[in-house]
Parts: sequence; C-alpha cells; structure tokens
Amino acid sequence: MRKPFPRFEDGMSDDGYVELQVASNFSFLRGASHPDELVSEAVRLGHRAVALTDHNSLAGVVRAHQAAREHHCRFVPGCRLGLEDRPSLLLYPIDRAAYGRLCRLLTRGKRRAEKGDCRLTYADLREHGEGQIVVALPPERCDAGFRAFLDELARDFGDRAYLGAQHLYRGDDAKRLQRLSRLSEQSGLPMVALNDVRYHRPERRRLLDVMTAIREHCTVATAGLKLLANAERHLKTPTEMARLFRRYPEAIRRTGEIAARCRFSLDELRYEYPDESSDGLTPQQRLERLVAAGVRERYPEGVPDKVAALLRHELTLVAELNYAPYFLTVHDIVTFARSRGILCQGRGSAANSAVCYCLGITAVDPARLDLLFERFISAERNEPPDIDVDFEHERREEVIQHVYAKYGRERAGLAATVICYRARGAMREVGKALGLSADVVQRLAETVWGWSEEPIDDRRARELGFDPEDRTLRLALELAGELIGFPRHLSQHVGGFVITRGRLDELVPIENAAMPERTVIEWDKDDLDAMGLLKIDVLGLGMLTCIRRAFALIERHHGRRLDLATVPAEDAAVYDMLCNADSVGVFQVESRAQMSMLPRLKPRSFYDLVIEVAIVRPGPIQGDMVHPYLRRRDGKEPVEYPSEALREVLGKTLGVPLFQEQAMRIAMVAAGFSGAEADRLRRAMATFRRTGQIGNFRDKFIGGMIANGYPKDFAERCFQQIQGFGEYGFPESHAASFALLVYVSAWIKCHYPAAFAAALLNSQPMGFYAPAQIVRDARAHGVEVRAVDVNRSDWDATLEPVEGAAPALRLGLRQVRGLGEEPAQKLVQHRASGYRSPIELMLRAGLGKPVLVRLAEADALRSLGLDRRRALWAVKGLSDDALPLFEGLPPAARQRPEAEVRLPEMRLGEHVASDYAFLDLPLKSHPMALLRRRFAREGVVRAADLAHLDPESLVDVAGLVLVRQRPGSANGVIFATLEDETGVANIIVWPDAFERFRAELMGATLLLCRGRLQREGIVIHVIAERLWDLSNRLGELRDPEGTRPPYAPTELSVRSRDFH
Amino acid sequence: MRRVMSLWLPSWPIERRRRPSASRSASPANPVLVADWVGGRGIVTAVDPGLADSLTPGMALADARAMAPQAVVLNADPAGDAAALARLAAWCGRYSPWTAPDQPDGIWLDLTGAAHLSGGEHVLAEELIGRLKRFGLSARAAIAETPGAAWALAREGSAGIMAVPEGATRVALAPLPVRALRLAAETAELLDRLGLRRIGDLYKLPRPALVARFGFATAERLDQALGLLAEPLSPLPPAPIRSSHRRFAEPIQRPEDLAAATASLAEALCRRLAEAGAGARRLALNFYRLDGVVLTLEAGTAQASRDPRHLARLFAERLDRIEPDLGIEDMRLTALLVEPLGGEQAPLDGTGLGDGGADATLAALVDRLENRLGAGSVGRYRPRDSHIPERAAERVPALTTGAGGTPWQPDRLRPVRLLPRPEPIEATAPIPDDPPVQFRWRRRVHRVRAADGPERILGEWWRDPGEPALRDYYCVEDEEGRRFWLYRAGLHQAGTTPRWFLHGFFA
Repeated sequence: MRKPFPRFEDGMSDDGYVELQVASNFSFLRGASHPDELVSEAVRLGHRAVALTDHNSLAGVVRAHQAAREHHCRFVPGCRLGLEDRPSLLLYPIDRAAYGRLCRLLTRGKRRAEKGDCRLTYADLREHGEGQIVVALPPERCDAGFRAFLDELARDFGDRAYLGAQHLYRGDDAKRLQRLSRLSEQSGLPMVALNDVRYHRPERRRLLDVMTAIREHCTVATAGLKLLANAERHLKTPTEMARLFRRYPEAIRRTGEIAARCRFSLDELRYEYPDESSDGLTPQQRLERLVAAGVRERYPEGVPDKVAALLRHELTLVAELNYAPYFLTVHDIVTFARSRGILCQGRGSAANSAVCYCLGITAVDPARLDLLFERFISAERNEPPDIDVDFEHERREEVIQHVYAKYGRERAGLAATVICYRARGAMREVGKALGLSADVVQRLAETVWGWSEEPIDDRRARELGFDPEDRTLRLALELAGELIGFPRHLSQHVGGFVITRGRLDELVPIENAAMPERTVIEWDKDDLDAMGLLKIDVLGLGMLTCIRRAFALIERHHGRRLDLATVPAEDAAVYDMLCNADSVGVFQVESRAQMSMLPRLKPRSFYDLVIEVAIVRPGPIQGDMVHPYLRRRDGKEPVEYPSEALREVLGKTLGVPLFQEQAMRIAMVAAGFSGAEADRLRRAMATFRRTGQIGNFRDKFIGGMIANGYPKDFAERCFQQIQGFGEYGFPESHAASFALLVYVSAWIKCHYPAAFAAALLNSQPMGFYAPAQIVRDARAHGVEVRAVDVNRSDWDATLEPVEGAAPALRLGLRQVRGLGEEPAQKLVQHRASGYRSPIELMLRAGLGKPVLVRLAEADALRSLGLDRRRALWAVKGLSDDALPLFEGLPPAARQRPEAEVRLPEMRLGEHVASDYAFLDLPLKSHPMALLRRRFAREGVVRAADLAHLDPESLVDVAGLVLVRQRPGSANGVIFATLEDETGVANIIVWPDAFERFRAELMGATLLLCRGRLQREGIVIHVIAERLWDLSNRLGELRDPEGTRPPYAPTELSVRSRDFH
Repeated sequence: MRRVMSLWLPSWPIERRRRPSASRSASPANPVLVADWVGGRGIVTAVDPGLADSLTPGMALADARAMAPQAVVLNADPAGDAAALARLAAWCGRYSPWTAPDQPDGIWLDLTGAAHLSGGEHVLAEELIGRLKRFGLSARAAIAETPGAAWALAREGSAGIMAVPEGATRVALAPLPVRALRLAAETAELLDRLGLRRIGDLYKLPRPALVARFGFATAERLDQALGLLAEPLSPLPPAPIRSSHRRFAEPIQRPEDLAAATASLAEALCRRLAEAGAGARRLALNFYRLDGVVLTLEAGTAQASRDPRHLARLFAERLDRIEPDLGIEDMRLTALLVEPLGGEQAPLDGTGLGDGGADATLAALVDRLENRLGAGSVGRYRPRDSHIPERAAERVPALTTGAGGTPWQPDRLRPVRLLPRPEPIEATAPIPDDPPVQFRWRRRVHRVRAADGPERILGEWWRDPGEPALRDYYCVEDEEGRRFWLYRAGLHQAGTTPRWFLHGFFA
C-alpha cells in the first residue's frame, strides 16, 4: 500500500494540475516555445507550478527557473530521457543529491556519444535512479514489452514510478485512457495526467510543423504524417485538463503530488570556488603573500602611496567577499602560461586592479592610470569578479588542457554558447520548409546584411521584387520572424571555463564539444550569471602571438629584451605616429573607422588610447556621443555636466558617456535604477527577443531622468546608447587592457618596423590587412623587403642584418600560396651550404614536383640563376621517378639531357600578376604603376595626390579594391578602399549610387571612381558619383596580345574583404 | 578528303531553356543565369550573353546576384542539357547522315561527301546557323579536315563561318590560343605561364620536351588537330525500326486470317523490340484496303511489353470492327511509344502487383480490361501522406509501381466508404466536445447508441486560406447498428450552432 503524499503546498488551485511534460525549444526542433514563454503562459492560465522536460537535456532549466522566479511560480526541473533499450520516460529529481545524479547520468550519456547526442541504457538509469521520480511514457502500442517495463520500474523505483497518460484528441482517447488505467492497476504504477506540451499557445503549431520539416529534411507539404494532426500540444488550463481527465481525477491530483515531492529547486545550487589553499595557508593568506612578492618585483624602487592604498583597499574587499580563491585560480593559470613562455594579458572589471597587476595578471600599471570606477568588485551586488585572460592565439590550447589536467573533467568545463537562429538562417530554413525555390530562398536570405536580428519586413520584400501579399511568402516571412532567436544548437563558448570545488558534473551535465579534447557544460554565460556560477575566460588573441614574435626578433637582432610591462611608457614618437593615422597592423586601431578617428582624437596619452578603443563602437556611435566628445576635446564646445551627480560619472570623458559602465551608472545615478535593475536592463538589451520589455525600461529610464531634471533629448540619447551597447557594449575595463596592447604594438611598429612586419606576417591570418598591405606599409617605413628564396628564406619571415643599416625583412616560405609547412621545413633543414639546381631540391630535400612548381611560380629559385619562367620550365621537366639507375652520380648527371629551348621573356606585368597569384603580394612593382601611364593620360590621379587637391573638386581615382564594407550603423552606405602604387583612397558610395553601379562595385578587382573629394584634417574621402569596372586592364597587363579569354575574376587574385 | 564541321552553341544551357516552353519565371525581358548548388552554395554555370561582360561561369551566385540583381536564376540541369543536345544532334541529321553531340555544348557533323547536296559547305553552314537562330540558339561553326581543327576554329577563330581549305590547317591553327586544342584547364594555364600562348608556339618545341612537361595527351591533341593522328568520333545510333509489315499475295477478308496476320506481325515486331531491348507501350495496327482506305486500331499497355501473344490479343478482341470490304492487301503494326525493357529474365522472387512487370498475367488482365472499358478505367488506391481524410488516399493506375512512400495507417479508424464530399447533417450534441446524441441525415433521424471520439484534425495551414479549419470526428453507431463517421466543423462557440457533417460509413 502506498503512503498518501502531501498535496502540493502553497495554495494550489483546486484541480491541482501541474504540467509535467513540457518540451521547450531546447529540445531542438521538437518544441516551439522559449522556456520563459512556457512559464509565463502557464502562470497566465492559472498554473501555480510547471515542469520542463527537454529531450536528454537541462539546457533550458535556468531560463525557466528565472522566469518562474519572476512570476512567483514553482518550477520543477526534469528531463525526458531517451533510452536505447527501453521506452522513453520522464525524470524529476526530488532533491539536490538526485539532481546531481541526473546531471551525472546525462553527462555519462553525452560523453559516450557524438556531440549533440546522448546514449543511455536502462542500466545507467537504474544506477543513478536514487531519488528520481520516473514517469513511463506509453508507446503507440502498449504491448507485453511495455508491461514488463512497467514491472521493472515498479521493482526498481517503487513508489517513485508512475505511468503517464495523455489525451491527444486522436479519436480513441477514451479507450486508450481506459487501457492505461487498467495497465496502471495491474502494474501498480499510479496513472498521472500529461499533456505532452510542445508550445505555449496553439498558434505555434505552424512553427512546430515547420521545425518538424526542418528536422526531417523535407517540406511541410510533403511531411504528411510526420506532422501532428492538430494544434493540441499547447498548455491548457487546469480546468480544461480536469475536464479531459474527468474520469480519472486521481491522475490529475498526482501531477500536484509529483510536483510536491520534487522539493529540489535550482536555488539550492551553490557555487564554490576551487580550493586553492596550500602549505597550511588559507587562500587569503596565500594571496597576500603572492601580492607582496609581486609588489617587490613590480616596484623595485618602492611602491607608490597611491598603489599601496589601493592594494590595502582591494585586499580587504577580497577578504570580505571571500574571493581569494578566485584570484588564486586565475593567478595559477597565468603562472602556468608564463612558465611556458606564453604571453597573456588580463582584462575585465577586476583585471585592472592593483592586485592583478602585482599578480602579473595584467600589465596595466595602476600608477599609470587613474583607476577606473569603484566597479572593481561591487560589494553590494555580490557579483563575482570579472577577469578574462587573453592568451596567445596559437598556444591557448596548451592553457586549456592545463586547466582540464589540473582540475579534471569532472570539475572543469567550458561554458556553452547557445547558437540561435539569426534572420538569414531562419529565412533560409523556413523558406526551404515551405517549399520556396532555392532561388527565392537565397534571395530572401541575402537581403539580410550580416548578422541582423531584424526580421525582413514587407517593405524590404517589395524592394526585392517579391509580392508580400503572396501567401507562401508572407507565411515564410512571418514564421522566419518567429524562428529568429530560437536555439539551434549548443556550441562551445570561446573560452569561458567553469571550475568548481565539488563535482561540476553534479551541477550541470557536461558534453563533448565538436573539437576533440574539449568538454562543454549545457549552460551558457547568461545561465551561469543567473546561477552565480563563476567563469574564467581563457581567450585567444592573435595580437599577443604577434607581439611575442616581435619581442623575440628584437631581442635577437637588437639585443633588447622587452615584455608587456617594460615597453617604455608614454613615448611621444608613438603618439605622433598614431595621430597621423599611421596604424596599419596596430592592434584595434587599424580599421578604416579607427584610422579616420585617430587624427581627430589625436591621442597623446595612454588614457586617450583607452577612449580611442572604446569610442569607435556601436554604442557611442548610435548614441551620437562621438561628435560631442570630439568637439569638447577640441575646445569647440564647453565641457559641462548635466548635473553634479553626473560630474563624477562623466568627469574623465568630458561629460559625454562613452563606456558601458558609464551608461549603467547613468541609469542608476540619473534615472534611479537599482544596481540589479541596471544589470537587467543591460541584459534585456542584449536579447532582442525581449523587445517587449525594452519599452518598459525605456519609459522608466527616460521618465526617471526627466523626473530628476535632465533634458529629454539627453535622456533619449543616453538610452539609445545603451541600446547600441547591447551585446557588444565596450566597458572601460576592457578598453584599458586593449589600450595597452594598442600602445605596445604601436611602439614596436614605430621603433622596429621590420620586426613588426615580420611578426605580423608570421601571425597571419590576423587583423585587418593582408600580407600585401603589411609589406607595402613596411616599405613605406623604409624597410627593405627581400623576396622569398629557396636558399635564403625560412618558413617564417626573418630579419637579415644589413651593414650599417636597419635589418632587412626576408619574406618566408609561408608566403608561397599553397605551400605546406612540412615541405618548407624539409627544404630549410637540408639546405646545408645551399642548393645549386632544381634537381638538388628534388633529391636532397626530397620535395615532390608539385612543391617545386609552387616554388618556381613564386619566383623563389632566383638564387639558382633561374627566373620564374625558366624555373618553371626546368622544374616541369624533372622526371618524377628521378632516374634511380644513376643513383650515386652527382645530381647534375642524373638529369635527362635536353635540347635548349628559348622561352619568351616574361614581362613585368606578368611577373606582377604572378606575384599576386602565388605570393598574394606584389614585389616587383604595383599593377597600378604599370598602368599609370595610360591612367595619367586619362586624368586619373594617384591616391597620394588627393591630399593636395582642392576639397569639393571632382576627381578620378583608380585602384585595386581592398575592402568593401557596409556597416550596419551606416544606413546602407558602402565604404570601399582602393589601393594604388602610392597608397589607398577611401571611397564612400551612397545607396543611390550603389544601386546604379552595383555590378561595377561588387564585381571589380580594379575600380575607377569619379567623385567629390572631401577632406577633414588628414582624413580624405571620395564620394562616388560614377564607377567603372576596369578589371580587364589587369588581364592586359598579363597578356597584352589578348590570347587569353576575357578577364576572369580569379585571374589576378587580389583578395578583397567583402561584406557579403 | 575528310571534312568535319564543329558546331558550337556558346549559350546552350541558357538558350535551350529560353525556347518557347521555358520556365514560367523566365520572362524574356530578364537575363538568365544558370546556377548549380554545391553544398548550399550557388555556383554560376552559365550566363546569358547579355550579362557576359560582367559575369562569368564559375563565380559564386551571391556575387553574381550582387552585380546583376535583375537576373532570373535557373537551376542547372546538365542531364537535360545533354539529352536536348543529343536530340538537336539527331535533328542535324538532315545535313549529314553522320552527326554526334559534342558534349556539353557542341555538335559534330561529318560533311565528307555530304556538303554538295546542300549547295556547298558555306551554304550549308549558313542555312544551319540561320535555322538554329530561328530556334533562338546562337551558334558558330567551322569546317576543317580534322575534328580538332574544326573545334578550335569554331571557338577561337574569327567571327563568321570558317572553312579551312585542304592543307591549310597548320597555318590556320597557328595564331589560335593553345586552349583551342581541347586541353585540360591546368595544362593550358601552365603553357600560358611559360609564355607558350599560341598553338604555333608548340610547333617549335622538341617533342620530348613537350611530352615531358605536358604529357602525351597534349601532344596527342596537337597531332589530332593537325591530322597526324586519326580521331574517330562516335555517331548517334540510327533510330531502331519499330514496325513490322506484311503484304499479302491475295487480299484477305476472313477474321481468322486477320487474326493470324496480326499474330505474325506481333511476333516480328517483338523480335525487333527484343533486339533493341525495348517494349511497346502504345501500338497502332494499320489495314491497307484494296480501295485505298487505311483503317487503324490503336492499343496501349500498362507496362512495356514485347510478348507477341499479349500484344496480338490486345487487337484480337477488336478485329471484328474492321470492315475488310473488298479485302486487305497490306498490314503494318507500329510501336508508337516504346520504353526500355530488360532481357527475358523471369523474376525469381515472384513479387506481385506492380513490381517491374513481375506479374505479367495481372498486367495482361489490366490491359485487356482497359482496352475494353476505356483508358484509365482500372485503378487502385494508394495511401498518401496527409492527415486530412480525403487526402489520405489517391487513385492511381492499377499498375503504378511503388507504394508512394507511405504505408496505410491501420491504427487509424477510417470508414470503409468515404463520401466524395461530406454531407451536412443536423445533430444534437452536448458541449463542448461530446459526440451527438442523435442526428438527421437525408431526412432520417438516427439515434446514437454508442460513440467514440473526437479525433481532432486541423486543416493544412500552408495551403490556400480556404482550407477547412478544425474538424472533430466521431465514430457513432445508431440503434440499428449502422456505423457512421461524422464530424463537427470548428470548435463549439457560444451563441452559434455548430455545423455537422457525415463523411463516411463503416459498414
């Protein structure tokens, strides 16, 4: 006899019904509502508790839990478990321990399966079954096997086993329920009412049908019986459920009973930092010792008072909040990296603390910088400190594996990133599911530039020549709009580690990542924040690799040893260079937008760089804060503060909010938000689908500021800025860390341009510019650049000493397109005193013919006395089987004797084209230089001439198209960059001109632009009025006789960076 | 002396589809692109001549789109292109007995000894190109001693029709770019890089040096073009003869004679079909009467057949409709439509209906019934993939192969007879979704004794807006034990009387 269980406390409605079988869109493509939609709708329908049972997953529980907390509703976490050898069932942990077992169970299933899959057997379930309530889900036909399964459950789970029953409007529901009721009596498992919820409202049926079609790779029209026959899988009111189960009131009552038995709440999860105590010291003591040692190292001449005071303050705060273990963990990781010679740099609110500087986590000297806001650790918010650490991109994996090795896979895992449907993908999938032709789908999807979250609207559709009244098209647009923001799959966070003291796999399930040797938890960073779980970001940064390489070259060739902290500070020459927008290759400030900002901002100090990094971002631009700031800086506008309270917040930025922290502080100081509210605001901005909530925040924010006496337009701009920050908000704390790398890379470029260029080339692909521009820039700075050669080059670019001058840059074999590192290294290894003929390369270095062909085409055999064409002829003539008969003879004798053939001399134009084709850069000349005579005749000016021409004059300028960009914030304006032999010209194409010259702009490799010259200081633009595609002139360059087919885009392959 | 014409259709994949029956979306105003989809990425495979200035085959469709948003994109159909080209090559048979498609976009015509029939090579070529132009096809042609030379000149020679006189091939080819030799793309590219850009440049090279660097294939192409190496081309096979014919010494009149003659014609035809590996789907039997009148009987088969007895029987039952009058002097049996049919291998597995002609007896029966009752009168039902009852089955010809991918759903309760359209009834039912207590259908009241349901089926929302909305189906039994399938259209709503329908019977 089963004991009666207490009814669910907390004033349940009379029916006592709780939805126990609910799949959200985290049951990928099986549920058509967000977890929070399900919870809030359940509350609206009068439910006092609701469960979530996604397929083999707990990925959605945190969101549901948060929503439930907001709506004062009880939440029962669970999951639907698929077993390989038994029917599926629902599982609910009754307490914390059982929850841990469920996590471990799922972890086991996921770790042994491919990514995204879960393989479990009944034996696994039984092993982890303690404290789990199970509800068997009846299959289509309840046969003897199912009967036996129920007996098994009764035996193994006793009174924690139930039999689920659903009313699905399939015609035979009455009979089915009766059969199940009989089965329930026979097996002793009480029957419990379920509703198999897949969406919160019936309207979502269409979306679920579409998702089913996507899942089954068919169209909705052909999916047929794979779709559900009706729209009944929505949440129902307790009354309606009671009516459907009117003959089985006990089944309804038991739902409440199960909810009541599951006492576990996610609030019980407690995060504990890994235990970092050792040698009998408490973590705090250990931290203080390490900091003291660090102080001696950082400040050998004695610590400045300001820093000493900061340290005392910070350490007290750390002790108070018990954060010492966290700092120790980061310190350990950083120490590990340093022991391997891996360059790293911390960032984030806590990273720029004096403590972190002394621990070596950051190289930003707090003495050099007015320490940022008191936001280092916010005591009242009890939010974990935020430190991200950037490591050299190429060696980050070593750090990651160190973390796994030190803490074990049960205690460390990467956070997940929920990959959601974006407009483009949603449009594509929905269009396909609705049977639109591939062409139409492609066209619809293409209308979304970049990663927009905005659904495609009717106006847009009409612009594209679609009839928005067309029903299928309208459905596609509508449903794609609904699908946007749905999770698509879980991916790994770029480097966010969760490390715990106890077992991580009892906190959240862990699964395999797509990358080998990586394991990922099921929750993303928002979930972790919500649960108060600590994350350490172990990120990769290409620029650190580059800086390390440059340091190594400088040490070797100039005998000067440097690291991030010892690069001389505040060097005027470096700032002069930056003020001239001479920043190709410099971290963060090399983009075109940054380059045009530099001369306007005129950075003269480290803090100016911090602002420079943060100002060219969507937040300040959309909030229209950039120009006011520049005007005030130039003294064209008085610096004033909207209020005394804001003087403190905005003092450092001349009264204009530029940083994310400032925007949040304004919400608190001026609009009266609490800290938690401000944080919620920031989060809401990051998540577009809660657009409904943004309206509320907006009213509260602007209303609050007006009530506090601020002008309305200022309030509105502040709000717009917060909106612009969204997910890409740039906090001052990050900007400060980046600014250091800006400074260091600029310093290297300024003083050691050859080393800088070599390091950049050796770190490709990275940054904004291709090798061609890096080399051009190096030459412009007086660096002698030497060609790739089989007898001189290493794999990497190197420096070659020059008597009485700065070293020259020797390009590396890595520049040869399509040449692998392995043959290149073999070539270098076997070089000895040098190669004298192609056959030696083949025999001594063991290089195959295709490799030799690449080298020949790259013109790397010059030191053998062979130019490109003759080298190619010679190499092609080598026989693959290298005449083994003559082994032992000198290589020259092992060649087949051949009659001399005279090949036509290679023209300079052909060489230039081949340089592009096989080295990606022009070495012997620039194509524009070869074409200049004709262009000059036609009145086309050089890029360098633009600086001397009258503003507003009409100019013709031509060049290779390097970049085409259409920034989301620029209203359809396109920015293109043209390169000629003297430099680059920046072109702006307004949308109407774009429409007329679309083909020219998008198709040209060599573009001629006629337009108005605009000049502001040293920033020059040409506003395009007409464009011509002159790419065929490049073809003529190579082949003046015209024996080749009309110019094909692949021919002279200048690779441009395009926006589509 | 051999004379070969190479015909080149530079825009074949585009223009063949621009012809009258082209796709709906391709209005003549818009230029057309043909694209292939490789892993979700569109690659342009052919470009309208009007766009050829800016677009080239091989570029990404996205790029092409950005440059020519007005273009209509068609999906590539290489198989269709090839088949249509083969048909066009066959059509060219009017100019030469010997033609062959030169995939993917050319046609060979061997004009040796044929050109004079059309008034000489130039006249022939001009007429051919003129006709193709009227078809909407642009074409270029060249005539030379070797296929290779003709090919090269058609594509790379000067505009207009090229006809290279005997002995002038070497000179004519010298200025052409090397790719005109039908070389692999990478070989042509390599020659270009070495500065060897014209065919004439290759004449000078020592042969071992040429072979060592560019392979035998390159040397062979050069030799073929110059006529140093023979190049056979494979022509189209001649169309198979698909009829049998018999002339009688004495005109015949008696039905037995007609039947015997039919049987022997069928046997002769089937022998030919067997040689061609084909079977007949439609047949015509012509009777040439002494008075000059021709009478015709036609017959069809449900699946390709070359069983003489079966074919003969298709006509035997209708021979009495033939009036021999003074007598029939001539009979011809023609297969109007044939399909490939494999060898005479009887299936061992004995699979039944519809499985590739396994059950020949059944097929023969269906043919006989259809020939008597009219085409399309014999059918069967096949399940379809839909929840909507009237769409859950379709009528297909009796011998349609395959089950249509969907099995029958035995678990679903469905009536034995479904009305072609549901009939309105008046029903009384408790709300919201209980079965009716009684209903009136065709003026008769039925009291419901037992009922099951509802089964809720929603319309297929992606179809037209007029799609039926929700239906709640009930299976009910009246007091006389008759079972009906009823439904209520729409959910019960306060203030309205729900509409009820009868949709089928269970017995």
